[in-house]
Amino acid sequence: MTTKRLIAIAAMAALITGTGSAASDKVEWAEITAELGKVKQAPSGHLSFQRLKKLLDIGEALFVAKFTTEDGAGRPAATQAIDPTKVRHQPTEPFARLSGPDSLACSSCHNDPVPGGAGGFVTNVFVSEGFTNANFDTSDPQFSNERGTNHLFGAGLVELLAREMSADLAATRSSALRLARQKARPVEVTLESKGVSFGVLTALPDGLVDLSGIDGVDTDLVIRPFSQKGVMTSLRQFTVNAMNHHHGMQATERFGSRWTGENDFDEDGHSNEMTPGDISALVAWQATLPAPGIQTPASDAWKQAARSGADLFNDWTCNSCHRQTLPLDSLVFSDPGPYDAAGTLDDKQVEVTAEYDLKMLEWAQKLPTDEQGRVLVPLFGDLKRHKITDRQIAALGNELLSQRFVGRDVFMTTELWGIGSTAPYGHRNNFTTLNSVILAHGGAARDSRDLYEAAPEEKRLALIAYLRTLVINK
Amino acid sequence: MTRFFKLIAGCVALATSLSGKAAIAQNFPFDVPNMLEQAAAAGLNHTYDGPWEFFVGGGVASFDCNGDRMPDLFLAGGSNPAQLFINRSALAGELKFKKAPIGLSERDSSRVLGAYPVDIDSDSHMDLVVLRLGENIILKGEGNCQFTKANRTFAFDGGNAWSTGFAATWEKAATYPTLAIGNYVDRSAPGSPWGTCEANVLHRPVADGKLDYSQPYKLKPGYCSLSMLFTDWNKSGNPSLRITNDRQYYRGGQEQLWRIPAAGTPRLFSRSQGWKPLRIWGMGIAEADLNQDGYPEYALTSMGDTMLQTLEPDAEGERPTYRDAAYEKQMTAHRPYTGTDLKPSTGWHTQFADFNNDTRLDLYIAKGNVEAMPDFAAYDPDNLLMGDDDQKFHEQGDKAGINLDRRGRGAAIADLNADGMLDMVVVNRKGPASLFRNQGAKTDWGHRPMGNWLAIELNNGKQNISGVGAKITIKTGNVTQSRMVQIGGGHASGQAGFIHVGLGVAERAKIRVQWPNGDWSHEYRVFANNFVQIPRGKPNALYWYPQPSSP
Repeated sequence: MTTKRLIAIAAMAALITGTGSAASDKVEWAEITAELGKVKQAPSGHLSFQRLKKLLDIGEALFVAKFTTEDGAGRPAATQAIDPTKVRHQPTEPFARLSGPDSLACSSCHNDPVPGGAGGFVTNVFVSEGFTNANFDTSDPQFSNERGTNHLFGAGLVELLAREMSADLAATRSSALRLARQKARPVEVTLESKGVSFGVLTALPDGLVDLSGIDGVDTDLVIRPFSQKGVMTSLRQFTVNAMNHHHGMQATERFGSRWTGENDFDEDGHSNEMTPGDISALVAWQATLPAPGIQTPASDAWKQAARSGADLFNDWTCNSCHRQTLPLDSLVFSDPGPYDAAGTLDDKQVEVTAEYDLKMLEWAQKLPTDEQGRVLVPLFGDLKRHKITDRQIAALGNELLSQRFVGRDVFMTTELWGIGSTAPYGHRNNFTTLNSVILAHGGAARDSRDLYEAAPEEKRLALIAYLRTLVINK
Repeated sequence: MTRFFKLIAGCVALATSLSGKAAIAQNFPFDVPNMLEQAAAAGLNHTYDGPWEFFVGGGVASFDCNGDRMPDLFLAGGSNPAQLFINRSALAGELKFKKAPIGLSERDSSRVLGAYPVDIDSDSHMDLVVLRLGENIILKGEGNCQFTKANRTFAFDGGNAWSTGFAATWEKAATYPTLAIGNYVDRSAPGSPWGTCEANVLHRPVADGKLDYSQPYKLKPGYCSLSMLFTDWNKSGNPSLRITNDRQYYRGGQEQLWRIPAAGTPRLFSRSQGWKPLRIWGMGIAEADLNQDGYPEYALTSMGDTMLQTLEPDAEGERPTYRDAAYEKQMTAHRPYTGTDLKPSTGWHTQFADFNNDTRLDLYIAKGNVEAMPDFAAYDPDNLLMGDDDQKFHEQGDKAGINLDRRGRGAAIADLNADGMLDMVVVNRKGPASLFRNQGAKTDWGHRPMGNWLAIELNNGKQNISGVGAKITIKTGNVTQSRMVQIGGGHASGQAGFIHVGLGVAERAKIRVQWPNGDWSHEYRVFANNFVQIPRGKPNALYWYPQPSSP
């Protein structure tokens, strides 16, 4: 074939497709993210350490990549909404601090103390549904909730715990229904998993379930462990949401033609911006981030104070919500997972899920276990939502919008692992000290908070000493 | 040179994949349900047959007769006996039905053209109005799929006509429903069948709180109706009766819309009131508010074009002036979409439903030659017109697998195995009934579920328990959908049970209900992929879980 003919064909292709030459993509200094699309197909089956490592390398590269408009960053025709939604007015600027896109990279915010970590006040995000008033230009809390950036260390363990707890609650519901049908009378059962109570439900003989007594969990009894509000089911869902919201990088599994009728829903000239494989790589990297640990203080004084603080943590019943550990039966992470709904890939949408055993990772091998061989995940949380304000103590009730059916003053218990590395505190990142955020606990945490407040300074400092040992290892 | 053409083809393919919406619309990128016909394997063996009188009819009623909330099926047989099949399907698995006795005499179970379920006496057991050639019958549900003939108990005169249509409504705050019976040709009139249409009949309780239908009212003139539906066409809160009529036999007739004032005398809407005469071979009615303006659209099946009646914009609910929008919506379905027979189609049952759970309503049409009409298609496959995001419809019947060589008549679309995807039963004339299991979208490796969904049941309280006449609105993001709880329409086929709604990629939804008396509920918040019950006056929705299959 002659060069002339090749040029003619290339020109024809360009004419037909309306795109320019891709030659600029080939050079090593091209302003693109080379790792995008590198995972040709979403991984499936058991992943060996070597296969997992390859996936993680790509996942990390995507997490720290600064996506460009050449990659498909930006969403001129779409809002930040989780359900694909067209804008009413196209924005004039590529970035918008409030409605987004508001960053090029995941690590622009998740970076303290290392990529995957939390972020300072400057990295706060603005949570609004994005269906109407998408392009608001005010930080007035009636239009959005301002939230700090959470760290992602140990996130794989958190998702695994949530899955097991969701399965427990569903099994309790099933057995209650079975009994109600057998006995032909209502059956009330306590919902409990891993020692955490989620209220009661009443199963009726005809298969109906009265959920008015449940506590801290959604009515479908699925534990949604992610976000400060506890409204995201999985790392996969969180990733798909965040890639659109913050970067304008739209995942095919939600914004593709199967659901929207378009390959380029955000109309930025790039189709299928993030493949299922890209999302899988990002999920794998986040899911395998090490669990934060407990640092042994350098000084004896701190060591002693921390020991005392650990006791006080229990004495003051901080551990009623911030449970030091929750037991986990299996470290095998499957992706896509079992609890997502259409729009995020789940295990029913693929032939075979990818499975990787976190036990392959050195940090996971060091996690403590109980006498039953279960891994004790040291998250300092209960994966349950609680009311955190009351009439007197209301500083954490500063949001005006409920989010996804969860009331304004109700939040997921913050997992305290890593808290020594991730100041500032509170869901808006507006508490500079641990002392101040402890004193801001009202509602369900009021008794513990009052005990803390009433204690002598030495004891209060001891608790702080303990909490400051909960760090993310660099 | 071959490589050159391959390259060109590759370029064109690339262009097609990238050139946006127009190209995509042609390829229909959304999920298409794979419908597996499994009537024989499921134990649903049934044929609708008979002479001329049974060229029409052939309905099916889908409803729960034993309190397990799984749809059971009653199928009209024409000259064959009607049959009742109890749902024994495995949860999210293969469909399975078991024939059960109806408790009717041989006489009463024959010559049946159709059936509609409605809980007339609000005892929580669904009753069944059986349309026959001869006396119509009300079967009172007694629970556990037992029925007793209740014509005498309800003082209901079943008449002796050729009945083909039915609709029910609770007028205002009435305790018991008003029943409308649609009749076809009066065979005993001189000159029959041409121009001898039987009047339709309105059965109202003689007084509120009294279950006594002893004073039927004849809706004259009748124009050989084949389907009827109580519909709140103008958002007045006072449904009118829409009747579609078969021009094959009437003289000077047309489509009809009756104003039914509460406790007042029914009156036909006239030309001076904005009603535009329309003459079609009306066979079936389906209602949906496709553009969410509060004024429903109506799909009308006929011979040749299917119609889509939409209110003229300047009518504004004041006048029932409709125009046809079927062409612009690409849903005329006027001739077979596969095969070589290009003669006009014959449409019967029609129903809007979201088969792929993508939030966009689809339209099913049962098709089939009347008997041996030479000017109409002999091979006339049923339609599955699937909605896109531009409110247009795309034929996917062949891809879905419903393009069988059978003469379709009545049908019911319901989730028969509680897997969140709509299945379908179709009664065919002179052929086996079809039972389609919706397997989800086909892939290289099997089938995968489609969009998210909700199944909604209303609990309206002690009377009109299932809330017939209520409007349900479902909001996800910026998308609002609505469903009416109705008894009527289709072709001789009615259904009761969960109202199915596709949610697309939304994982939660807000539901509000306008109850039959016009009161609006507060907002109920529910998570996707669940069966939910909205109990009137209660703060929270209840969830329902089907009984797991026995191991």
